[in-house]
Amino acid sequence: MQHIRPGMDTKDILRRLKEAKGYFITNTARDLSQSDFKNRILLHTDLLAAKPRDAAGYFSLEITGGASVHVDMLRKQVNPFLKLELLRREMPNTLFQTLCRGVNLFGYRPYPENAIRLTVREFAKYVEVWRVFDFLNYIPNMVPVFEEVKKAGKILEPSICFSTGPEHTDKFYVSKVQEILDVTGEDIILCIKNHGGLGTPKRIGELVASIKQRFPDLLIHYHGHNTDSNDVPRIAAAILSGAEIVDAADHAFTGFYGPPPVLSVIQTMEAHGIRAEGVSTDAVIETSEALRPERAAYADFESQFKGFDSTVQVHKLPGGATGSSFEQAVKGEFLHLMPKILREELPRVQIELGNWWSVTPGSQILWTTAVNNVLSGERYENASGDLKNLLLGRYGPFPFYRPSEEIYSKVFGPDWEKMLKEQGGVAKIEDIDLEKEEATLVERMGRSVTREEVVLYLQHPNDALDFLKFEEEYGQAYVLPPQIWFRKGGFNLGEHLDFVDYTGKSHVIELGPSYRSENGKQTLYLFVDHHSEVFLLEEEKKAGVETAVKLSKEEIASLAKVGDMRAPFASNVCQIPVKAGQEVKKGELVIVLEAMKMQNPIESQVEGKIDQVFVKLGQAVQVGDKLLTISPL
Amino acid sequence: MKKILIANRGEIALRILRAVQEQGLTAVGVYETPDKEARHIRAADEAIWIGEGPRKDYLNIDKMIWAARKAGADGIHPGYGFLAENPDFPKACEDAGLIFIGPPAKVIHALGNKVIARTIAESAGVSVIPGSETLPYGQEGEERALAFAREHGFPLMLKATSGGGGRGIRKVNNAKELIDQMPLARAEAKAAFNDARLYLEKGVINPKHIEVQVLADSFGHIIHMGTRDCSIQRRNQKLVEIAPALIPDQPLLDNICTAAIKVAQEANYVNAGTVEFLVDEGGHFYFLEMNTRLQVEHTVTEMVTGMDIVRAQIDIAAGKKLKFSQEDVHIRGHAIEMRINAEDPKNNFLPEGGKTITVYNSPGGAGIRLDGIVYQGYVIPQVYDSLLVKLTVHGFTWQEAVERMRRALKGFAIVGPKTTIPFYLNIVNEPDFQKGIFNTSYLDLKPDLFVYKEEDREVAKLAKLIATIHHKGFNPFAA
Repeated sequence: MQHIRPGMDTKDILRRLKEAKGYFITNTARDLSQSDFKNRILLHTDLLAAKPRDAAGYFSLEITGGASVHVDMLRKQVNPFLKLELLRREMPNTLFQTLCRGVNLFGYRPYPENAIRLTVREFAKYVEVWRVFDFLNYIPNMVPVFEEVKKAGKILEPSICFSTGPEHTDKFYVSKVQEILDVTGEDIILCIKNHGGLGTPKRIGELVASIKQRFPDLLIHYHGHNTDSNDVPRIAAAILSGAEIVDAADHAFTGFYGPPPVLSVIQTMEAHGIRAEGVSTDAVIETSEALRPERAAYADFESQFKGFDSTVQVHKLPGGATGSSFEQAVKGEFLHLMPKILREELPRVQIELGNWWSVTPGSQILWTTAVNNVLSGERYENASGDLKNLLLGRYGPFPFYRPSEEIYSKVFGPDWEKMLKEQGGVAKIEDIDLEKEEATLVERMGRSVTREEVVLYLQHPNDALDFLKFEEEYGQAYVLPPQIWFRKGGFNLGEHLDFVDYTGKSHVIELGPSYRSENGKQTLYLFVDHHSEVFLLEEEKKAGVETAVKLSKEEIASLAKVGDMRAPFASNVCQIPVKAGQEVKKGELVIVLEAMKMQNPIESQVEGKIDQVFVKLGQAVQVGDKLLTISPL
Repeated sequence: MKKILIANRGEIALRILRAVQEQGLTAVGVYETPDKEARHIRAADEAIWIGEGPRKDYLNIDKMIWAARKAGADGIHPGYGFLAENPDFPKACEDAGLIFIGPPAKVIHALGNKVIARTIAESAGVSVIPGSETLPYGQEGEERALAFAREHGFPLMLKATSGGGGRGIRKVNNAKELIDQMPLARAEAKAAFNDARLYLEKGVINPKHIEVQVLADSFGHIIHMGTRDCSIQRRNQKLVEIAPALIPDQPLLDNICTAAIKVAQEANYVNAGTVEFLVDEGGHFYFLEMNTRLQVEHTVTEMVTGMDIVRAQIDIAAGKKLKFSQEDVHIRGHAIEMRINAEDPKNNFLPEGGKTITVYNSPGGAGIRLDGIVYQGYVIPQVYDSLLVKLTVHGFTWQEAVERMRRALKGFAIVGPKTTIPFYLNIVNEPDFQKGIFNTSYLDLKPDLFVYKEEDREVAKLAKLIATIHHKGFNPFAA
């Protein structure tokens, strides 16, 4: 059979998938990076793997989407579009796949529909397979993306998110599939999105079989995570029940929370006499051999907690959030509470809030609520803005049941019913003026901008802007290998750094001596391509003078009562709706902090006048950092 | 003289300082606060702070005299710009018993007034471009201007009476433009020279700008050091200068040099000066002005004559006779000077003030002279000019000089600000320049010179990133 490759007609590809005797494999490199390496795997590494990956004969390579678009700009300083362009150059034979949320796309908050459509159009120039999901399995949320993908002539892969529990029956999921097909028509691939790696192999086999029974011609793509180390058997069960495509990743980088190894899937299915269509085992092995030496450079981003976690069946955290949850527990110094959070509170919150699917942004809502409940001691106190939106039905209707009245009254107060009536329901976000947004970006950059840059800006305004400025200042930094990019503690005197720039020229930079001058500036000598260059570097400000004395939760709360607002947790400032000199009432919103993709409103505890604002938009703050002061009346 | 104060900054201060120090004399530098780490200060034997600046203290005669007294200097060299052509300065020096290294106040005063200067040239029998007297203010001025236009036709050049250095000049093509531009030109002249007076000249079409370096001692000896061609200008500011002028008509060049001597004689000129002419396509030349100072481009003349003009200035000021006669002046080969500025030629030569030079490598070798003040870590001043380094090359033939210039330009590695180097590389690669064919319209007629790719600085950007990662101990853009 002729290999499926970019440029083929969508119908033709779907026909080939259906006619094949064996099954197909998607290499989910993006999900591997996100789940097991905090999304840090660099384009440099993906480029190293590009040739053998292209030769491996995958149905597709999931290489963009999810949080990667954000992290590409935020932590890797690479343009997500350029990344796809460069990879395409090296990988002409493999379809590229993305993962996006229906209303959030690659961000964490709903976007206006015209921004969604523009974004899909621009990415569809590089991406052939579009996996779309909604954390409430609310189909209308995905329709604009469906439409744009179809318009672009690309392969649409709507997902049903999977979870476990009494409500999660085959009947329910079959009806959801029907809902999708009613909207999309039959030319799709259906994804079973098992982001937590939940359920037994038996359960997955039954689900696939039920869907296949009802829709025999529907192509099924099974996506799972290996958190409990049982995903290969689930994959096998899915294939044996009729799934055509499954997800796995390169074994050199497989960890605990992401996809399982491709090779294990192939070997398992060989015993059943079922072939991975088009896959070259040699190229799969070669890819891992090319990747293996790089893994050490990413050690800092692997989970601090090694070992599979079969308790995922209880806490249900998605693979993409497990590592970062532990990281947050370490930073927030509540690691000792993790057993309680994961085994007791999180499952309890899940049931209380409706037993829907723990995946972005729902997983963050569940996690933050559980953590708040445990840390504050008072359950459902200090509800995050996102939890409020969820309860108001802004994200969509609850699929099974609504949370209890106690929770509503705890979060919204006694008038919750009135509030729900007046403000409840799916939020329709007004279209934004795209030309105006572009003009703003042009003004902030001081140059003309491309359509793609506008798209990045619409997704993550501040981070995109920071990235574009970085690019102007430091050039195309994706050429640097992880060993340089993630280096800690500086380089050694005389160390040679070799790399090839984006124009293909080789360079060597050797570290020379450095001196500290009287005015505190550091003079550093680098030998760039054997020419000496001097860099004058500013002395680092002594970090944390303001926070040298660490404040306790109680101290922060009592300071707030006298108008000295401090950051209650490590976060980023994402909104400052007030200015110095402005009068505020008690309970008025003064700042919004974002942590773990969640927005947390901080309200004034006093009535008074804003004295001084100490933070800027986008600034990272640590526990106890001064945010603003209010002179009480 | 034993100790000389240099009342200037930047490359010219350094140039003069070298001439002073190599004779075993003591050089005193002065500086305003923004220049406290400037190279001319580091190289000086003594440095005196004259104020916060910017610019106003370099323009302050009293402070210069005070500084000279404080240092115990007996002579002052004004350099170019700032106080160089202010007749009050030599006067003040004289009153203070200091030797001013330049022409007498009277001469500066006379030649500084463009109208008087023209009269001097006419008395010397040298043709001048037909021009008006100083135009009165108001409607009367407009009427006289229009009457002049009727007599000589357009285009006309509207000039500041106290102008110089190419500033305060506007070309007008018709009566409306003339009337419209007069108030603007006045405002500009007032701002630039503190003198709003204007006059008109007949426009010479596509002329060459040819000038003659002269030296005169106080004993009436006047010699010239040959010609320079400074035709390549933008908005009347020189960018590229060569010596000698590439005019095949040798008798014409001789006549120009003779005319320069005559003007200098008529003006009772003493010290180094430059007589500027416009030469039209028919071989007619007109006296333009005489600059009573050392010029930026004096280096090309030094290259082709082997003589040190600044040392000659000091000798003349010290009351010595010229060490050489006209017969001793031999022009050998060709020299080209290009001013490497931290400017963006594509953006109307906008200065790159505030940017830091993170890499500076300069060319060297046969026939190359650098007069510069930059170094790695140098910050382009926002309050002074953006000249980084003057590159002067010498070649036995014109072709050799051009090739050497190309080699030298390529030998620079300047990272940080945009510079005029890629633009100059386009000039040295341009066929007409290579043949020596250019006049003052050269840049206007060759828009392609402004088309070039900015030098690939990718590695420098990445080096900066690596320096940051090293310095901080982690990558702040990955954390």
